[in-house]
Amino acid sequence: MASRPSLLFRWGLTALSLAAGAAVWEIVGRRTGAAFMAPLSETLVRLWELTLSGELVRALGSSLGLFAAGFALSVVLGVPLGLLLARVRLLRIALEPYITVMNATPMAALIPFILSMMGFGFAPKMLVVFLFAVFPILYNTVEGARSIRPELIEVARSFRSSEGALWRDVLLPFVLPFALTGIRQAIGRALVGMVAAEFFLSASGIGMLIQSGAQNFDTAAVFAAILLITLLGVGLMELGAAIEARYAAWRNVRR
Amino acid sequence: MTAQSEAETVSARNGALSPLAVRLLAGIVLLAIWELGVRAWAPAYVARPTGVAAVLWSVATSREFLIATGDTLSAVLEGLAIALVAGIGTGIAMGRSLAVDRLIRYYVFALFAMPMVAVLPLITLWFGYTGGARLATTVFAAYFSIVLNAADGAQAVPAEYLEVSRSFRAPRWRVLVDCVLPASLPYLLAGTRLGAARALIGAVLAEFFISVPGLGTYILFNSRSFHHDQAIVAVLVLAGCGVGFDALVNWATRRYLPWYRRDEKPQ
Repeated sequence: MASRPSLLFRWGLTALSLAAGAAVWEIVGRRTGAAFMAPLSETLVRLWELTLSGELVRALGSSLGLFAAGFALSVVLGVPLGLLLARVRLLRIALEPYITVMNATPMAALIPFILSMMGFGFAPKMLVVFLFAVFPILYNTVEGARSIRPELIEVARSFRSSEGALWRDVLLPFVLPFALTGIRQAIGRALVGMVAAEFFLSASGIGMLIQSGAQNFDTAAVFAAILLITLLGVGLMELGAAIEARYAAWRNVRR
Repeated sequence: MTAQSEAETVSARNGALSPLAVRLLAGIVLLAIWELGVRAWAPAYVARPTGVAAVLWSVATSREFLIATGDTLSAVLEGLAIALVAGIGTGIAMGRSLAVDRLIRYYVFALFAMPMVAVLPLITLWFGYTGGARLATTVFAAYFSIVLNAADGAQAVPAEYLEVSRSFRAPRWRVLVDCVLPASLPYLLAGTRLGAARALIGAVLAEFFISVPGLGTYILFNSRSFHHDQAIVAVLVLAGCGVGFDALVNWATRRYLPWYRRDEKPQ
């Protein structure tokens, strides 16, 4: 864009956009039935009530616990396995296509199997979050592994580089930025997995809040919970992007 | 993947195999682990490769399964088409006009970051327990990633192109069609790929929720009645769609946009 609009123009538009969004939400909510949509004001009131009663905090805590457990597991298993694939070329060649396939497969399709084999505890839900998150991490790490030219490792070896130095100076710098891209992508998927697990396995957390609200035609509670999970999603994605930008600055990073 | 140690032994034995042979071997090893693991530790109803192979043909040619496949895939394609047309329009408007960008970016990004499965109860309130709800879910799932990528693409048009078209006094619509659209194609393809994956997940989750006929429902009912082998066939079809669509987009990128380097891909 050739001309640079003034700061006032930009922030004025942002303010206008937020005000217009709030107005549209309020008006549409009031015009339609209560079972269809809740106006912003009612949603915020309900959000406040749910916060005061402690329900919201409990749901958020339970959801975050599930998210953290499944996500941590996928990072702890996914990144080292990805690094191993970067080091052992044959292993990478062997497993690459299967990781690509698993990454493109909608993991949601496995939820009914997990339900019928593992039932309703915490572990099956954690497994769902893990499965949603681990393949983007592996997929991107393998892409990073592919970007290491074999000559680099050969040169390092011909200079009698120790295994430790090889990891520190060649493997990690090449693979880590890709792993971080994978981790950022995994955040979004893990959130979907989290809500899906809370919906379709045992009801808990924010997912249960949404579902019980919908069953009781308490649309304001549904909107309040969705607003909360949207904020959570935006926050986590921004966090992922910030970490990626911080530690992978040299690789052309976008959103 | 639990196959690392096994694959390593393969590597020790065959130092000089072609990549294809290594991959086939790894596939056989993975299938063997699955088969033996299920035989050793899992209940009899759990799916395993030989069981799936035994039912593959009869399931894949059954009327019920074919109808389910057609239902789900047509919903995904239809949803993707709607999301593409609407998303490209919105995205290019965002990318070319700072005012539009400032007005709607927060909403687009927030709805992109929101897990779409969370709105399923709302969508069923609005559309009922119908195929329309599934279609709405796929559109919703795909739309925002397409908008964001289209906006990035429209913003990334080289300034020289625009300057040249301005010096030749090209009308606005010609600039859009001949300049902005082609230059943002790689981004659009990336957005479409992402959107298709999300639409596929959205369709499956919507079917779990509303139980209209489709592959998700097929999986749900068969796994409930402990016909896991049959249900796995549906998972294979879904995996095939995911992989097939990725491959199609990658092929199109290489074939028609050879100037576009893959490592610069947005998303």
